[in-house]
Amino acid sequence: MKQLTELTTSFTSVADSIDLPGQDLSWIQEIRQQALAQFNQSGFPSKKVEDWKYTSLWELTQLQFSHLVEPVEVSEQHCEQLALLEDAYRVVIVDGVFSADLSKLTSLQEGLTVGPFSQSLERIQQQLGKQVSIEKEGLTALNTLLMKEGVMVHIAEDKIIDKPIELLVINTGGTDNLATHLRNMIVLDDNAEATVIEHYVGLTDTSCLTNVVSEVILAEKAELFHYKLQQESDNAFHIATLAAKQATGSQWHTNNINLGAKLARNDIHSQLFGEQSHTTMDGLYILDNEQHIDNHTRIDHFVPNTTSNELYKGVLNGSSHAVFNGKVMVHKDAQKTDSNQYNHNLLLSRNCEIDTKPEMEIYADDVKCGHGSTVGQIDMDQLFFLRARGLDEVTARSLLTHAFAVEVLERIPSEHIRKALSNVIEQRLPRGKK
Amino acid sequence: MLEIKNLYASVDGKEILKGINLTVNAGEVHAIMGPNGAGKSTLSNVLAGRDGYEITQGEVIFKDEDLLDLEAEERARRGIFLAFQYPVEIPGVSNIYLLKAALNAVREHQGLDELDAMDFLALVREKMQLVHMNEEFLYRGVNEGFSGGEKKRNEILQMALLEPALAILDETDSGLDIDALRTVSEGVNALRSQERSIVMITHYQRLLDYIQPDFVHVLSDGRIVKSGDKELAKELEDKGYSWVKEHVEGSAA
Ligand SMILES: Nc1ncnc2c1ncn2[C@@H]1O[C@H](COP(=O)(O)OP(=O)(O)OP(=O)(O)O)[C@@H](O)[C@H]1O
Ligand SMILES: [Mg+2]
Repeated sequence: MKQLTELTTSFTSVADSIDLPGQDLSWIQEIRQQALAQFNQSGFPSKKVEDWKYTSLWELTQLQFSHLVEPVEVSEQHCEQLALLEDAYRVVIVDGVFSADLSKLTSLQEGLTVGPFSQSLERIQQQLGKQVSIEKEGLTALNTLLMKEGVMVHIAEDKIIDKPIELLVINTGGTDNLATHLRNMIVLDDNAEATVIEHYVGLTDTSCLTNVVSEVILAEKAELFHYKLQQESDNAFHIATLAAKQATGSQWHTNNINLGAKLARNDIHSQLFGEQSHTTMDGLYILDNEQHIDNHTRIDHFVPNTTSNELYKGVLNGSSHAVFNGKVMVHKDAQKTDSNQYNHNLLLSRNCEIDTKPEMEIYADDVKCGHGSTVGQIDMDQLFFLRARGLDEVTARSLLTHAFAVEVLERIPSEHIRKALSNVIEQRLPRGKK
Repeated sequence: MLEIKNLYASVDGKEILKGINLTVNAGEVHAIMGPNGAGKSTLSNVLAGRDGYEITQGEVIFKDEDLLDLEAEERARRGIFLAFQYPVEIPGVSNIYLLKAALNAVREHQGLDELDAMDFLALVREKMQLVHMNEEFLYRGVNEGFSGGEKKRNEILQMALLEPALAILDETDSGLDIDALRTVSEGVNALRSQERSIVMITHYQRLLDYIQPDFVHVLSDGRIVKSGDKELAKELEDKGYSWVKEHVEGSAA
């Protein structure tokens, strides 16, 4: 059995019983209908599917998810503390519901349109769902069936948006097993530039499911700095699909930082359709206890003269488990592709486990490609050096761990964002246990 | 200051130090010479508290305390400083961060407050001048991409900042050009005082022209086989270690 179709939650009846946006729009009703048919067929992927070999969704099938809730109130001050950046446009979603009060969407720079998904459907009719495939992924079908909120960002031609845009998704944990299905659309027209941060935060250790699909469209020479910070609660399931289509000369710089959740899965896909386009896929995961993460990335080089860099690093403690599967596809026309892909892991305990598989499939002959992965421990020479300078062992270990981790931030050009992320990472690092 | 009594140490069951006896009083400079593989770095590592050595016999007293009972960091805070033969690179930890953390660790132990950012930087700048280091090195990763000589200067910079009671310099002169050797020696000489002791390991008599030792010891096969003043170093330079070995065997017979 490649599918898990016996689900405790009847998502079909959920779709009938809750108020989803676009009920008056036939095109969206049609999309949802297709998704319903698809999801009924595919359900959740089982471990028999190659791409899900190390990650079991069985526990998800056993939960009775709730979809209708009154969001718990979050104070403005609390929201301010949770946000990564103080000086940013902000779209805040609490327990799956857009909060106009907490969002910061006033005095938008000219050329920037940003707002909640539920109020932006007409604008995205042409693009919605085109970057992802409901046929291949049951979870994307489920998301399409139930997508209710998220962020829509559009940058007009030639506009450079100086202030970052932070999507802050807060799960308060006020309801057990709350499921939220979010859809984000980020569209940059020719020569546009912007920074978008997807930030997911859990406040308590209540179980919940975040199922998010983000679609990115970069027109010619557009440049998007796209960061994700996942700090969900210890009992959260976080499932994210992120896909971009890139035109000539466009650049997509992603950084995918995962610190929370009981189980997190990221599927990230870049499709380089235009020459001179570039993707950066960097990421970090810091796990402890029983945490599980699975990062699946894929970069398709379809045309000549495109580039990609990928660096994923992981710090594992406790009996955590990480999976990295990175695939770079260099298609037969993609001559002069320049691509590298690395995954490095630091294991802090004996009981953690890493399955890493960087892959390259190359069908062009004139390319420059490199890939590799490593798994290691704290370096004893470095540790002794620091202790011989008076740093206690715990401090020395966490310093070395931090130094290992923050390398993934090096390619972030904004010092401000780099520092903010570095601080968050430092707080999450295991305190140097032996 | 330091008293090593009949010290035996082994690694993975292999005996490396075989009964070291050495007394270093405050204000003294001792040079230790000896062939490759004699156990000189092992002795410095054992004194600095590196894990992995089994002390099978003997004791080490430092300022009236049993040194071997202390962790590496506790020794550092009490004023033991080891300048490494091969300083390790630590990408991702900036030099300035290391200097600050190291200085604060020592100051905290001494019951002193942390220096504020301004005073700290002023102090670091002063010490950097002493070893002719460019400020750019402060913001690089610890020893990251440093040349061999730059790494050694960086060790001396740390020493100058921390002002240890006992500095152990493990071949700090190896790999230095003539100017750097002079700079490093000036750095060490600036530290010389009545309250401080220096143990320097070297293969070259030349260093001893710059830093005049009070005593010279020859360490061979895990033992100090000969001690003398700086004339001993000259004699060694002329006659080689085989002379000491014969000499020892001769006297043992
Ligand atoms: N971890 C270890 N395992 C096995 N043997 C070791 C270990 N560490 C040191 N040794 C051995 O101990 C001996 C002494 O080494 P040590 O580094 O102290 O020599 P040294 O006097 O500093 O030499 P050099 O002048 O070349 O620096 C050598 O034979 C070395 O191979
Ligand atoms: Mg040595």
